[in-house]
Amino acid sequence: MVPVDDRSGAALRARFAREAEKLGCAVHIADTSAQGVQQVLDLLGGDPAILSWDFEHIPLPGLAAALDEAGIRRVADDPGVRVGITGADAGLAGTGSLVLTTGAGKPRLASLLPPVHVAVLETGRIVPHFEAWAEQQRANGAHLDAGGTIVLIGGPSRTGDIANIPVRGVHGPGAVHVIIV
Amino acid sequence: MDVQSNNFIPAARIAIRDPQLQAALHASSTNSTRARAESLFAFGREHGEHMREQAAEAKRRALRRLPDLLERAEARMQANGMRVLWAEDAAEARRLVLDVIERHGARRIVKSKSTLTEEIDLNTALEDGGLDVLETDLGAYIVQIAGEHPSHIVGPALHMSKDTIRDLFVRELAMPPTDDAEQMTQFVRERLRQAFLGADLGICGGNFLIAETGSLCLSTNEGNGRMVTTLPRVLVALVGIEKVIESVDDFTTLAQMLARSNNGQVMTVYTQMIHGPRRPGETDGPEELYVILVDNGRSRIYGTGYAEALACIRCGACLNACPVYRSAGGHAYGWIYSGPIGAVITPLLAGLEHATPLPYASSLCGKCKDICPVRIDLPRMLLDLRHDLVTQGHSPALWSLGLHGWAAVSGAARLFSLARRGLRWGLRLVPNRLPGPLDGWTRYRDLPPAAPQSFYELWQERQKTRDHE
Repeated sequence: MVPVDDRSGAALRARFAREAEKLGCAVHIADTSAQGVQQVLDLLGGDPAILSWDFEHIPLPGLAAALDEAGIRRVADDPGVRVGITGADAGLAGTGSLVLTTGAGKPRLASLLPPVHVAVLETGRIVPHFEAWAEQQRANGAHLDAGGTIVLIGGPSRTGDIANIPVRGVHGPGAVHVIIV
Repeated sequence: MDVQSNNFIPAARIAIRDPQLQAALHASSTNSTRARAESLFAFGREHGEHMREQAAEAKRRALRRLPDLLERAEARMQANGMRVLWAEDAAEARRLVLDVIERHGARRIVKSKSTLTEEIDLNTALEDGGLDVLETDLGAYIVQIAGEHPSHIVGPALHMSKDTIRDLFVRELAMPPTDDAEQMTQFVRERLRQAFLGADLGICGGNFLIAETGSLCLSTNEGNGRMVTTLPRVLVALVGIEKVIESVDDFTTLAQMLARSNNGQVMTVYTQMIHGPRRPGETDGPEELYVILVDNGRSRIYGTGYAEALACIRCGACLNACPVYRSAGGHAYGWIYSGPIGAVITPLLAGLEHATPLPYASSLCGKCKDICPVRIDLPRMLLDLRHDLVTQGHSPALWSLGLHGWAAVSGAARLFSLARRGLRWGLRLVPNRLPGPLDGWTRYRDLPPAAPQSFYELWQERQKTRDHE
């Protein structure tokens, strides 16, 4: 496991942000929900439609109303949509990974089909590392296989298959934004 | 593909004279080896070695309990709604896949990279059945378009230069000419996006299978693995029986070791744990999920001194580190597995008689053992395979004759003494270069002059003076 010594909330958030940025994520800190909502709207830049999780699973109160007001529709699986919005079940500070589990209202495609993925992560859900997360699930009595699929996401999709030249955005999103609230 | 490993020497000779291949091998293996060391030892050498110890122990423990873990994994997967099938050999695995395809009336198939499906030659069987099969990992797609085979278990197309791939795409796919790797990748993204959306069956492999939770685990970077396991109605995963591990804790270690050892990532971009098909209330994910557990010779290896080869997690680190692989490249090994691990498991899986040069495709320098994330003793197994070659009569006749002669002479004291004296005189008459096949010994080195007195003679003299004292 990756050593994570300082496990205070602030330190974990800083470590997560640093590691996620190393992987190519853009990390935005939102001190209030209103600020987070504004960050999402800015990232949408006038797009008419999004893919997303159900809003109850995205920890940004007011997001649904704001999107409504801006006339932005939530569609099911339109492959032409540019941005997908999800929450996150956890953040792993040591490796900068997002943990997403699937289930009703948490479709897999929102973090996969669109070229831009925006994940909203609560500070309190940042844990030191993968090992700590698995341990926490077990301690909470949650069966890891209770969720359909668990995916750990470490930055934008990438390849080096053409002559070792690093390229972002192969089949998955080429840009990943994490809004920490 | 047919096993062509007996052509190793001529194939390697050609590869060594291919400047483009040499440049590609040099760049990729140097990059990967450096990145691996940087990330594995990012928190100090001791920390990295401890992680390696933990990973090695997790796989060893899994192998010791293999039969039990397989049963537990099967029960968990079934409880999670997966259909579990068992295939004893390649033919049965192919037939099971074709059965599933027929049952669901699938025509368009997308695959995410799986070395096991190469091992059982699945694509050929599917294409013979008139099905559309598309590899979707960028490297595997390139190799498929070119009509070639992967040259590296992690980077299937790393033997090809950017120019070669560009020309291939322009020629075969009518790509608008571009020299930019990013634009080439975007071009493939758009083409394959349509294939993903239109596919009715997905085929993937599995990096690990967790007995505790029945998790099918996939470590990928491009996102095609997630597409294949999300979009088509039916998903078929083919997993070697040696991939089962005991617990989620073991997985957390192994997933991180796999990525670090492969190319220095702390984790792959996507680390998936799949627990069954789409559930009530979900709007995506496969409706049917089959897991085919493939033996194909693995349980035979399990009962021999080569069992530890089954601990391999297919990270490719031993290839990147091996001076023989770095010169000969993957294709010379003549089958899907190359480098030191390929030199060990090709004879074991395909039969020693089909791969007689491979146990010798190593200088026994030990780099593979040093770099292996699960500490597999590859040099030891290469030596044991050489032993098997001799005992099974696969060694060259001249070689056997020479060794038998040596054994006869050194087993009889009088004969040995006679030969020793004869050799000292004889050596003076022999030219510096030996004739015929013996020239292999002298082409690059001089024949050593005989010492004025042999060790044996010195020893006897010394014993005599001692006796006098």
